[in-house]
Amino acid sequence: MKAIQVKHPGGPEALELVDLPVPQPKAGEAVVKLTASGVNFIDVYFREGRYKSPLPFVVGQEGAGVVTAVGSEVKSVKVGERVAWTGLQGAYAEYAAVAADRLVSIPSGVTDQQAAAAMLQGMTAHYLSHDTYPLKRGETALIHAAAGGVGLLLVQMAHNIGARVIATVSTDEKAKLAREAGADEVILYTQTDFEAETKRLTGDKGVNVVYDSVGKTTFEKGLNVLRPRGMMVLFGGSSGAVPPFDLIALSTKGSLYVTRPTLGAYIASREELVERSSSVFGMLAAGKLKLRIEHTYSLSDAQRAHRDLEGRKTTGKLLLLP
Amino acid sequence: MKAIRVSHAGGPEVLEVAEVPIPQVKSTEALVKVRVAGVNSIDAQFRDGRLRTPLPFIPGQEGAGIVSSVGPQVKSVKPGDRVAWSGTLGSYAEFIAVPEEHLVPVPASITDEQATAAMVHGLTAHYLVNDAHKLKTGETALIHAAAGGVGLLLVQLARAIGARVIGTVSSEEKGKLAREAGADEVIVFTRQDFEDEVKRLTDGKGVDVVYDGVGKATFDKNLNVMRLRGMLVLYGMSSGAVPPVDPAKLSEKGSLYMARTTLAHFTATREELLARTSALFSMIADGTLNLHIAKSYPLPDAPQAHKDMESRKLSGKFLLVP
Repeated sequence: MKAIQVKHPGGPEALELVDLPVPQPKAGEAVVKLTASGVNFIDVYFREGRYKSPLPFVVGQEGAGVVTAVGSEVKSVKVGERVAWTGLQGAYAEYAAVAADRLVSIPSGVTDQQAAAAMLQGMTAHYLSHDTYPLKRGETALIHAAAGGVGLLLVQMAHNIGARVIATVSTDEKAKLAREAGADEVILYTQTDFEAETKRLTGDKGVNVVYDSVGKTTFEKGLNVLRPRGMMVLFGGSSGAVPPFDLIALSTKGSLYVTRPTLGAYIASREELVERSSSVFGMLAAGKLKLRIEHTYSLSDAQRAHRDLEGRKTTGKLLLLP
Repeated sequence: MKAIRVSHAGGPEVLEVAEVPIPQVKSTEALVKVRVAGVNSIDAQFRDGRLRTPLPFIPGQEGAGIVSSVGPQVKSVKPGDRVAWSGTLGSYAEFIAVPEEHLVPVPASITDEQATAAMVHGLTAHYLVNDAHKLKTGETALIHAAAGGVGLLLVQLARAIGARVIGTVSSEEKGKLAREAGADEVIVFTRQDFEDEVKRLTDGKGVDVVYDGVGKATFDKNLNVMRLRGMLVLYGMSSGAVPPVDPAKLSEKGSLYMARTTLAHFTATREELLARTSALFSMIADGTLNLHIAKSYPLPDAPQAHKDMESRKLSGKFLLVP
């Protein structure tokens, strides 16, 4: 089978198209013939060696396809079933052997491409808005990078819950996308100071929650726009890591909460994984959540996909179609 | 009138008895004859200059007594009413002028001593288990300094909710008090490592929430004894300030939450203050909540009261009686 393998960490050229044997399932695994693989920033981190994986490895953390074989102990899925997963390496390939308890079945109203695109970013937006800080109707959320992959989904979910959404973006085009996704207010942080603007938009009360994947450049000001007892949800650091901060800031700024969640902690049990993916699939099938799958590539074009992602030329989701 | 006055910052000896005029009430204040004043660790911080207020000043943040006169705009209380308050400096005195919004009515079933003890310590314990982290039946809470002023109340309130309580204390005698208050497990941290012991007591799972008024000495280990997505509520720092925190720690240790809270943000509205005090007064009246009075002192013995409080030999509430 064809697969994209990294032998030596590096730039996009480190993604090599190779021929490998089709994997055989171990007792607890299922082999999936992939129809779509999601491309994510975490793949870039593994490719570069910033995140470590034993070498060589097949890249890719999320995918969807059809089960072609199952191990002797597998009960939760069967051959022929359409399934998707995230969090396990090896999705940039024609086949992958996946731990069966990490596979979720795809309902008929959802395509393979949608499922592949929603596993990581969709479930991330879901846990952030439903569990890390369960947003309520009438509350106000500040969402940074609102036109990003997770951002656009988070805006839609927050809007559907009935929260007021204040979004930050870098360009007018991205502002348009954020508005279409349901943002009530959009701040172009390249032109307007988001702290002053958020205070103005909330009549100086501040927001209930800040969802921040930007990190270093936004964290401090984010604390200043929270209302008393508000929560800072830091779920990424695209501008760099937030340096250590003084806890006294949390009390003087209003008995604030800070959390730094990861998806893994919110799909740790099989039950939660199934519930969360079903919720997201349900939203997709009902048309309440719209994905922007605008860039698809053949497996052999993985290098180009990474270049496009890193060049930030794209909006929405990038998929490889093995 | 007699009052305790601080003219320069320092040890307990700077608490001097002085003859001062009875305060004049402003239009929105009531003059209260103080029957009991509460002694809190924050008073020692104002006394020795860790916290600043203009000199000279009369210490004391809380108390209970009888309204003797009211300003023209005061509507909710009248002369003769029994009241309690917190958050008003000047309580170590025979009379104090208290802003109307700080006063809460004291029902006949509650003594002045009980009302005073229910203010800072009671209100703190109440917001911690009901709001800072809403403790639920079946959850496990780690409570540091479980035989302290807040600790003994926190243990009782947590038990009343139906949570499992693990308390840490410094001595066997304090361990006995914590057990009497309802702690399911007591760790004498001077003899046992609380991290190892909490892990053992929770089968390696960790606790849902840590309530910590200790700070520096307990912080790092706290992060190791919380379950996935657990909450650290830091409401004081009796051992010193926690050094700046790297938010990445929160994700590494399991998508943890952290809050640094202060009472003022949990009694910010009149409704909230009244709801909390009336809930506390009912629990005191029906015996759900037992207050531990460490010792009562005549007003001139304020220096001894501070010495005793700071030596940490006695547990519970220190009171001054003018």
